[in-house]
Amino acid sequence: MRKIIHIDADAFYAAVEMRERPELKNLPIAVGGEPGQRGVIATCNYLARQFGVRSAMSSAKALQLCPDLLFIHPRFDLYKRVSRQMQAIFQDYTDAIEPLSLDEAYLDVTHSTCCQGSATRIAEEIRQRVRAETELTVSAGVAPNKFLAKVASEWRKPDGLFVIRPQDVADFVLTLPVGKINGVGKVTAEKMARLDIYTCQDLQQLSLAELVQHFGSYGPTLYGYARGEDTRSVETRHTRKSLSTEHTFVEDIGDRTILHTHLANIYDELLERQARISQSDYRVHKRFVKIKFADFTQTTLEESLHSVTEDWRDLNAYTRLLDQAWARQAKSVRLIGAGVRLRSRLDDTPTEQLRLFD
Amino acid sequence: MKLSLAREMLLPALQMISGVVEKRHTMPILANFLLKVINGRLTITGTNMEVEMIASIGGVPVSEGFRTTVPARKLVDIFRALPEDVMVDLELKDNRLDIRAGNSHFTLATLPADHFPSIDAEDDSVTIKIPQKNLKKLIDSVAFGMAQQDVRYYLNGMLFEITQSELKAVATDGHRLALSSLEVTTGIEDVRAIIVPRKGVLELAKLLQDTESLCTVTVGKNHLKASVDSFTFTSKLIDGKFPDYQRVIPKGGDKKVIADRHDLKDVLVRASILSHESIRGIRLFLEPSVLMVSANNPDQEKAEDSLTVEYSGEPLQIGFNVSYLLDVMNAIKEDRIRLTLSSNNNSALIEGEHSSDTLYVVMPMRL
Repeated sequence: MRKIIHIDADAFYAAVEMRERPELKNLPIAVGGEPGQRGVIATCNYLARQFGVRSAMSSAKALQLCPDLLFIHPRFDLYKRVSRQMQAIFQDYTDAIEPLSLDEAYLDVTHSTCCQGSATRIAEEIRQRVRAETELTVSAGVAPNKFLAKVASEWRKPDGLFVIRPQDVADFVLTLPVGKINGVGKVTAEKMARLDIYTCQDLQQLSLAELVQHFGSYGPTLYGYARGEDTRSVETRHTRKSLSTEHTFVEDIGDRTILHTHLANIYDELLERQARISQSDYRVHKRFVKIKFADFTQTTLEESLHSVTEDWRDLNAYTRLLDQAWARQAKSVRLIGAGVRLRSRLDDTPTEQLRLFD
Repeated sequence: MKLSLAREMLLPALQMISGVVEKRHTMPILANFLLKVINGRLTITGTNMEVEMIASIGGVPVSEGFRTTVPARKLVDIFRALPEDVMVDLELKDNRLDIRAGNSHFTLATLPADHFPSIDAEDDSVTIKIPQKNLKKLIDSVAFGMAQQDVRYYLNGMLFEITQSELKAVATDGHRLALSSLEVTTGIEDVRAIIVPRKGVLELAKLLQDTESLCTVTVGKNHLKASVDSFTFTSKLIDGKFPDYQRVIPKGGDKKVIADRHDLKDVLVRASILSHESIRGIRLFLEPSVLMVSANNPDQEKAEDSLTVEYSGEPLQIGFNVSYLLDVMNAIKEDRIRLTLSSNNNSALIEGEHSSDTLYVVMPMRL
């Protein structure tokens, strides 16, 4: 049986800003773009949340909900520094750390000898050290797998600790609302509601075949989650799957030539970003473009490189992809993005012919 | 000095012996054939100093004392190009060989016969007689497994192990191994083990015909000699220690598969199209009654194929160099093969379904 801890910092960016500027403490704040420029909220503090403000909400909408909301421009370098401080604490307990973002990580402490091997006590100690060393609070979930650990860290948020012991898993999942499952968003939850599925117990009534029929490739994962099962391991080495840049326009664009001009700028930015990642670790195997239309529907179109030796850097190819994607819905465009799908070079051909004689 | 013979009396012998003559050689005379007449027979010799082949042709009016060397390739090309059944006159004139046939006339340069190297016979040898077809089958079953220009020079050849009642042939390149044995009464007391170099093995195999007529094999300390009809073949031996092949023949593999050899070969050939060009890796997925084969290359192209097999054990996934498997599929003559596996880190044992005299061992590949 594995022991997994999920650590999730509470309102991370906002909390860091409040630590840096104590005068913000009793104001509703949001870190992210400003409403005038069609910004989106990255994080908001708990005061703002009382007004219904949430991350990923458009700043304009947030301002409607909370007219006094104070927008703060993000300072990622600062957040990264704090994140590294927290990671250093995790490393005192285990090497098996999978960071999901600056404020979230899975820890596999199955083989840790700290705190007599008690995952619960490790989680509590980490929480206290983070508070002492960074003045921030984190919530932690302890469970036999990643899925449940993440559910558990949400359970007592903020500044909470929740443990799902192996013997409690079966009972715990019965009443777990499907909306708490990582990957079940608004759309999937609505689809489940139409099938009269609200809890994992309801979900358990469906056979694997039925789940695949309704939810496609997500079906087998759901089948496991419904029973509190998740075999994913804590992946220490983060491998990048893609890299992209995108622009949201101040006003929707319906003109092809103007879109092409924007694409050229985005493409230049993509070139720069791709050049910054390790060329020896990753190679590009696909190009893609993304379009978000004025009505918020979006489409992505990608193409594989013809061979490993083909250079992905080709603005004409991106322009062609953009035109094709746009042709799918000839509406005015709110956002365009361009990116590359990456493949780890380690996966290329790590082959070894074994020998008969040593 | 002159001799006359029909084109067909000489051409097959010239072609057989020309295989021994290397295209690149260390001494000019090694590009030549030695032609000489002794006791009313014409003998032709080709050598690369390691392997020597001699043809002896009787029944032709020959003049004693005829003795010279001529460029081998040119002589073969001339005889091949001459019309069928033509009579050919060979005459030595002032260090030149005159060749006349019908209206054709050639003059070839010669080198002195005294400079032609020969491999000396020796004592302390044992002689066994084996039907040609049996020896040919033994060599053909195993030869593909020999290494080529490996720094482990003793692998660049074939091990022959001779006991009182058996002749065993083994070849390995360190990744796969082929072994075949032949029952034969040798009359020798102890065990003799010799390594015949690759070139010698391949030329000897060409010489052997699919017939019951006997081949006389003489094994000495440093040479192997084989006499077949009018040919005498001699090869130096490799002085080295062959690895302990018994140790690497897997025993106790619990996953036994019976498959149609032709079907399996076809599946492997198809999958191999999209395997990595140089690494040649493929994956086998073994499940009850089914063997699935997949391959992919750096361009992320993919091939999948499968066949029905007799198997009822645990599932297993294992990688191989597809060329090694195909070599075995081609070497086995039975219609069905038996594949015995244990894990994806251990070698595979492949045999004909019913044969117990020949076996193949292939190490897997980590993919």
